[in-house]
Amino acid sequence: MAAASAQGGRTGGGGGSSGAGGGLSCGTGSSRSGLLDKWKIDDKPVKIDKWDGSAVKNSLDDSAKKVLLEKYKYVENFGLIDGRLTICTISCFFAIVALIWDYMHPFPESKPVLALCVVSYFVMMGILTIYTSYKEKSIFLVAHRKDPTGMDPDDIWQLSSSLKRFDDKYTLKLTFISGRTKQQREAEFTKSIAKFFDHSGTLVMDAYEPEISRLHDSLATERKIK
Amino acid sequence: MLSLDFLDDVRRMNKRQLYYQVLNFGMIVSSALMIWKGLMVITGSESPIVVVLSGSMEPAFHRGDLLFLTNRVEDPIRVGEIVVFRIEGREIPIVHRVLKIHEKQNGHIKFLTKGDNNAVDDRGLYKQGQHWLEKKDVVGRARGFYQENRSVEDRNYLFLILGL
Repeated sequence: MAAASAQGGRTGGGGGSSGAGGGLSCGTGSSRSGLLDKWKIDDKPVKIDKWDGSAVKNSLDDSAKKVLLEKYKYVENFGLIDGRLTICTISCFFAIVALIWDYMHPFPESKPVLALCVVSYFVMMGILTIYTSYKEKSIFLVAHRKDPTGMDPDDIWQLSSSLKRFDDKYTLKLTFISGRTKQQREAEFTKSIAKFFDHSGTLVMDAYEPEISRLHDSLATERKIK
Repeated sequence: MLSLDFLDDVRRMNKRQLYYQVLNFGMIVSSALMIWKGLMVITGSESPIVVVLSGSMEPAFHRGDLLFLTNRVEDPIRVGEIVVFRIEGREIPIVHRVLKIHEKQNGHIKFLTKGDNNAVDDRGLYKQGQHWLEKKDVVGRARGFYQENRSVEDRNYLFLILGL
C-alpha cells in the first residue's frame, strides 16, 4: 500500500525526469549507454534504513536538492564543494609525497622533507576544519537562478539542514540572496522525519515536496510584494 | 540485471560525492601515516614504537610489551641502557642492554650487548666476524614502555593457544 502510493507520487511529480525513466527499462538498445543508464537510479524511490540517522539526513538533503534543481530548474554551483575537495586533495598529496620520498631516501636523510610534509598536512587539516566550520557551515546546495533578461547578476538559493544525533526533528533552511540588491532572506521548517518516511524506510515525495515548494514560494513571493 | 540493493547508495551519488568518499578514506589513512611519520621526525628513530618479541629481557620486559624509543644524536649511549638495534642483513630488531662501550675522542663508539635473561652476550648473534655494534645499527634507546597487566601464566597460556 505504501509502496503503491510512493510509485504514484513518482510518476506524478517526476514529469521532468521521464526521459531517464525510459532509459532504465530499455534492455536491448546500445550496449554502453544502456549499461550506464541502468546503473543510474535517479528515478528509483529512495529506500534507506530508517534507524540510520546519517542515511536519513542524506536522503532528505538529496531529495530537497532534486526538487530545487528539477522543479525550478536552477543551476547548481559547485564552488563550496570544490573548495573542500581541493583542500582534501592537497592534504593527501602531501601525505603521498612524504610516503614516496621516505621510500626513495631511507629515514635519516629524509628528515627535513618528512618534517615539512607532516607540518603541512596538519596545517591543511586546520584549514579544512576552519573552512567547514565557518565558510561551508551545513550548506549542501548552492543554486543559481539565471536572470532571464541576462542583465542582472544571478539570484542565489542556499540549502542547509541539520538533524541531531538520535533525534527525529529535521530542520531545513532555505536562504535567498537577491542578485540585484544583495539582500538575504531565509525561511526554515523543522519537522519530524516520521512525516516523510513510511514504515519501510521509503521516502514519500508526496509529503516532502510540498514542504520544499512552500519554503521556496514564501521567499519568492516576498520579493514580488516588495 | 541483478538488483544489488546495497549498492543503491553508491549509484545515487554523483561524481563529486564518489570522489569525496574516496578522499575521506584517503584522509583517514593519511592521518595515521602522518602521525607515524611525525613521531619518526620527533624522536629521530626510524621505528618509534616497537613490540618486544622474545623473553630475553625478562623480568624487565615481557613478550608483547610496547617500547617507546628515541634516537637523538645529542644523547650518548651509556652502559646499562636498553637499546633496540638491527643486525646487518636481518630485518627484525633486537631489544637488549648495553654491556661494554669503547669510545674514541671524536665520539665514535663500539658497544657490546646482552639480553638480561640470556646466559651469554650477543656476539653469537652478530654477523660473521663482527664483534661490536656501532651507532648506525641502533634503531633507538628505550625511553618508556607499556605493559598490559596480565599474569605470566595467563600470557604463556595465550601464546600456547596461538601456537607460538
